[in-house]
Amino acid sequence: MAEDLVLDTAIRDWVLIPLSVVMVLIGVLRYFVSKLMRSTQVPDLKIVKEGQVIVRARNFRAGANFIPPRSYRARKIYFTNEENGLLHVPKGQTPNPQAQMFSDPNMAMDMMKKNLSMIIPQTLTFAWVNFFFSGFVAAKIPFPLTQRFRSMLQNGIDLSTVDVSYVSSRSWYFLNLFGLRGLFSLILGEENAVDDTQRMMQMGGFGFDPTKGLSAEKDSLDIVQHEWALPKFEHRAEAVLRKLVH
Amino acid sequence: MVSKTEQSQLDRLENQVDNGGGGDWEYLCLVRKLKVRRSDKVLKYGLAILNDPKKRSSLGQDEWTLYEQVAIAAMDCQSIDAAKDCIKVLQKKFSESKRVGRLEAMLLEAKGSWAEAEKAYSSLLEDNPLDQVVHKRRVAMAKAQGNISGAIEWLNKYLEIFMADNDAWRELAEIYVSLQMYKQAAFCYEELILSQPTVPLYHLAYADVLYTLGGLENLQMAKKYYASTIDLTGGKNTRALFGICLCTSAIGHLAKGRNKEEKDSPELQSLAVTALEKDYKQRAPEKLSLLTTALKSMKIS
Repeated sequence: MAEDLVLDTAIRDWVLIPLSVVMVLIGVLRYFVSKLMRSTQVPDLKIVKEGQVIVRARNFRAGANFIPPRSYRARKIYFTNEENGLLHVPKGQTPNPQAQMFSDPNMAMDMMKKNLSMIIPQTLTFAWVNFFFSGFVAAKIPFPLTQRFRSMLQNGIDLSTVDVSYVSSRSWYFLNLFGLRGLFSLILGEENAVDDTQRMMQMGGFGFDPTKGLSAEKDSLDIVQHEWALPKFEHRAEAVLRKLVH
Repeated sequence: MVSKTEQSQLDRLENQVDNGGGGDWEYLCLVRKLKVRRSDKVLKYGLAILNDPKKRSSLGQDEWTLYEQVAIAAMDCQSIDAAKDCIKVLQKKFSESKRVGRLEAMLLEAKGSWAEAEKAYSSLLEDNPLDQVVHKRRVAMAKAQGNISGAIEWLNKYLEIFMADNDAWRELAEIYVSLQMYKQAAFCYEELILSQPTVPLYHLAYADVLYTLGGLENLQMAKKYYASTIDLTGGKNTRALFGICLCTSAIGHLAKGRNKEEKDSPELQSLAVTALEKDYKQRAPEKLSLLTTALKSMKIS
């Protein structure tokens, strides 16, 4: 491309800048709305306890060789016996997360709120950008890029002849959507930044079942072989002292 | 746990602040982050910031955190009035907050009105049964009143839920030792060794408890744990060296008639004696004679 496209300054004034400003304002607004709707989550006693049991069992598994055989056996039975061991999950008592969700309206409510504060503004802004600014070339980045960036930077323009360093308005919207985190953490404080990418990750992790962790931990405890490490330490201590004395 | 770099950073900042070199706020932040107990300094420098309207307003939202920090430090230093002022400000700002409620309960505790504090803590726990700080305050309160069995009861209740809390296990172990309930203490120390197998202090404490329990088997185990302490500290721990000597001598007494000589490491004890002598020669030559008589009384040197 020999001759450059000349972008109208009006595009800068009426597309590029308003788009960014609107994105920032919506981010801030969403932060306050979600703050209003946030319910203080009281963690469930059972879940906390199960988490702690898992941590303790993991420690036990890792450090088992450091305690005497008698203590090891007592603990192993305490954790894994079939009647009332800490890690034993009675059959038929594994609650289905889905069923749990329906039985607990608060959980569904929280999900709804999360979704509301995330999806609705995003759909609206996307529709708005699409409606008013579709097809604009809004900016030009000052360095050349390879063809692979075309789908990232020229979303909405189906021209293969335009140089890749031109950014379409819709792509500018996406860049803003994912790139404003730093700015938000400046405006709203470190932890408050609205991070869409992170939230999407969280959505995927929903429905984690702690009882699964319990039985997995039990299985790995069952196969642990106990070999008391301490007798070795007498020799090692001897070696250490010998080095110290001589 | 405070790592070495953090410790040196803290020391540097503390030195700087003590000499009036500025950085007060950074120092307070670091103290809060590392959860170290520097109540007198926090009170002094924190109050200085809070009493200076210009400095205070420049903190923005962190102002309230500082109020909380200073209030707790003031209670620790028994300057009840300062704590009261801080809590009053917080109360005005966050009237419904549980966190402020906790501070108020702590103030009652600091004043020594145990019954009222107990009531306040119970009502806080009703709202949020998983508040670790409140659980721990209760234990501390029982201990402060001299109600050791009560403290044990609270701690056990707490550990039933938060069983991965090292500090609580350690506290429980120390309480059991103070009551001479060594079997229970041994269990707690085992728990600590499990969670942090490379901390020599736990090995040492466990060995002490085993030695105190006595009996051939326990003594042999104690010796092994003293040995592991020596290994983990690189032979720098005098208590562990003495422990080896004491264990060997006691085992010798017990196993005398039985002729059951299962010596894995016959040299360990003589090496420990040599290391002790060398250490004393280097650091306290005038006490060397004491060492020799002590070792002689064990009939091993």
